[in-house]
Amino acid sequence: MLKINQLISGYGSVQILNGANMKVEKQSIVALLGGNGTGKSTILRAASGLIRSWKGTIEFDGEQIQNLPAHEIVGKGLVQVTQGKDVFPAMSVTENLKLGGFILKSKQQLSDNLEKVYNYFPRLNERKDQLAATLSGGELQMLCIGRGLMSNPKMIMLDEPSAALAPQIVLDIFKNINRIRQDGLTVLVVEQNVRMALLLADYGYVIKDGVINVEGDSKKLMYDESVKESYLGGTKANV
Amino acid sequence: MFNKLRIGKKGENIIFGTFVLLYIGWCVNSPDMNIESLKSVLTIGLSVGIIYGLVALGISLIYTGLDVVNFSHGEFFMIGAFAGLTMFNLLGNQDWIFNLFPDAYGWIIYVVCLFTAFVSMGLFGVFIERVFLRPLTKKGGGYTVAGMGIIICGFGLSVVLINVAYLIWNPVAKPFPAELGLPMEVGGLFLPITYIWMIVVGLSVAAGLWFFLNKTKMGLGIRAVAYSKDVSNLVGINVPLYISIIFGIACAIAGIGGTLVGPTYQVVVFMGYIILMKAFAAAVVGGFGNLPGAIVGGFTVGIFETASSFYISGSHKDLYAFLLMIVVLMIKPTGFFGVQVKMKA
Repeated sequence: MLKINQLISGYGSVQILNGANMKVEKQSIVALLGGNGTGKSTILRAASGLIRSWKGTIEFDGEQIQNLPAHEIVGKGLVQVTQGKDVFPAMSVTENLKLGGFILKSKQQLSDNLEKVYNYFPRLNERKDQLAATLSGGELQMLCIGRGLMSNPKMIMLDEPSAALAPQIVLDIFKNINRIRQDGLTVLVVEQNVRMALLLADYGYVIKDGVINVEGDSKKLMYDESVKESYLGGTKANV
Repeated sequence: MFNKLRIGKKGENIIFGTFVLLYIGWCVNSPDMNIESLKSVLTIGLSVGIIYGLVALGISLIYTGLDVVNFSHGEFFMIGAFAGLTMFNLLGNQDWIFNLFPDAYGWIIYVVCLFTAFVSMGLFGVFIERVFLRPLTKKGGGYTVAGMGIIICGFGLSVVLINVAYLIWNPVAKPFPAELGLPMEVGGLFLPITYIWMIVVGLSVAAGLWFFLNKTKMGLGIRAVAYSKDVSNLVGINVPLYISIIFGIACAIAGIGGTLVGPTYQVVVFMGYIILMKAFAAAVVGGFGNLPGAIVGGFTVGIFETASSFYISGSHKDLYAFLLMIVVLMIKPTGFFGVQVKMKA
C-alpha cells in the first residue's frame, strides 16, 4: 500500500531522515517506533506532503506521491491523523468532523460518513454540538481519528494516538483502531508507547537517527534485545 | 509583585465604564448638546464608522489568514474608490441607460459602480497576493522572519500603489456626483442620502460576509485555514488557494468601502492613509482579528470621533480615533471582543 524508498528529508537545512525504507501492506497495522527526535513524525509529514522529500520516493497505491501537494494526497486516500491537540477549538465537534470530509463532493456521503464516525465513537455523538475546546484529551484524540476517517481514506497514519492519555483510554482507542483495520483500512501508527503499539500491530519498524534500525514481526520485536537497546536505551522495564 | 497590580476583567470593565461615563458627562455639558445634534451625530458617526468597520474587517480577515497586518489596505480602499468612479464616468454619459430606467437611473449606475469596485478589487487583491506576497508566504509567513518581510512589503506596496494611482488619476481631488436623490432631513440637519446608503450597504456586506464564513463550505475552509494551515492541509484544503481567496475578499470589501464614501466626500489619491490608520484603531478597539469586533469597533470609533468633534472641539477631528485606541489599549488591551489565545475568525 505505502512504500517508502531511500527517503531523505528534513526541515530547512537540517536533514532528519537519512534514507529510510519501509513498506506497509494492505489492511495491516504497522507500528513505527522510536525515541524523541529520531524522525518518526518527519516520515509522516513527508508522506502526507507537509514537507518535501529531498530524495527518494514515496509510493502509495502504485503511484508516486512525493511531489504532490498535501491536499491532493488526501484526495488519493492517504490521511494523516494529527495529535489530539490539533483540532479547531472554536468549532463544534460536528463542524470539525465536517472539515475532515472537506474533499467529499456529495452531502449524502458526508452525512453517511458522519454516522459511521459516530458509530465508531459514540462519545462524539453525545458531544456533537459542543465546542471542541471543551472536550477531554481522550475525546480530542477520538475527534482527530474521526476527522481522518471522514474523507473515505484507504489508509490512515496516526501520530502518537496514545500521547498523554490514561492507559484505559489508550486501550479504548487502540481497540477502535483495530476495528478500523477490520473494516478494510490500512493503518500506520507512530508511537512512543512500544508495548501497546506492538500488541496492536502486525509488523513493526524501529527508527534511529533517521534510518530504520530494526524491523520485523511485532511478536518477534517485542522480545528483541536490540529493540530494547535502541529504543529504551538499555532499560527493560517497559517491555 | 506584578500579579497584585493586575486588575482583572471586572476591574477593566469598571475603569472603562468610568471613562465612558466621564466622556458622556463631558458631552452632555457641552452647550451644543440637544436632541437634534445628537441625531445627526449618530447618523454621521454610524455612517463613517461602518466605513472604518469595513476596512478593519479586511485588516482582521488578512490577519486571520496570513498572520500579518496589511499596511497597504488603505490603498486598496483608495483604488476601489477610483475603480467605482471610473465606472461611474463611463456609464454617466450613456443615454440608453437613462432612457431604459428614467426613475432609478442614478441608483442603478451606483450599484453597478459598487459591484465593479467589489469585483475589480477582489481580482486585484488576488493578483497582488499571488505576485508579491506569495514568495514570502511560501517561506513560512506569519510569525517567522518572512512575516516581517510581508509587513515591510505592505509599506512598500502602499507607496507604490499611491504613486501608480497618482500617475493614472493625478492628485486632484475628484467629485463623485452620484445622483441618489435629495438630501434627507435628520434632526433638523439635511444630510445626503449617501449617509444612510453607507450604513445599509456596509451592514449588508458585513452580514453577507458573516453568512459566507459561517454557512458555506468555503467559509468553513477559510475559518480552518485561519486557525491552522498545517491541519487544514491535512484535511484536504488547498491552503495557498484559500489564502488568495481571503486576501481577495478583504480587498474587495475595502473597494466597496471606497466607492461608498466617494459620493459623500471626494475621491483623492491620498485618501487611503488616514482611513487605514483609523480602521486600525477600529480593529484594535473591537479586538484584533475578531470580525464582528471590527464592525463594532468601527461604529465605536466613528461615533466617538463625530461626537467629540461636535461637542468638544472640531479642529482636532483626526486625533480622537487614536485617543480612543490608546485608552482601550491601556485599560482593555484585548479590545471589546478580542481573546488572548489564538482562536480567530
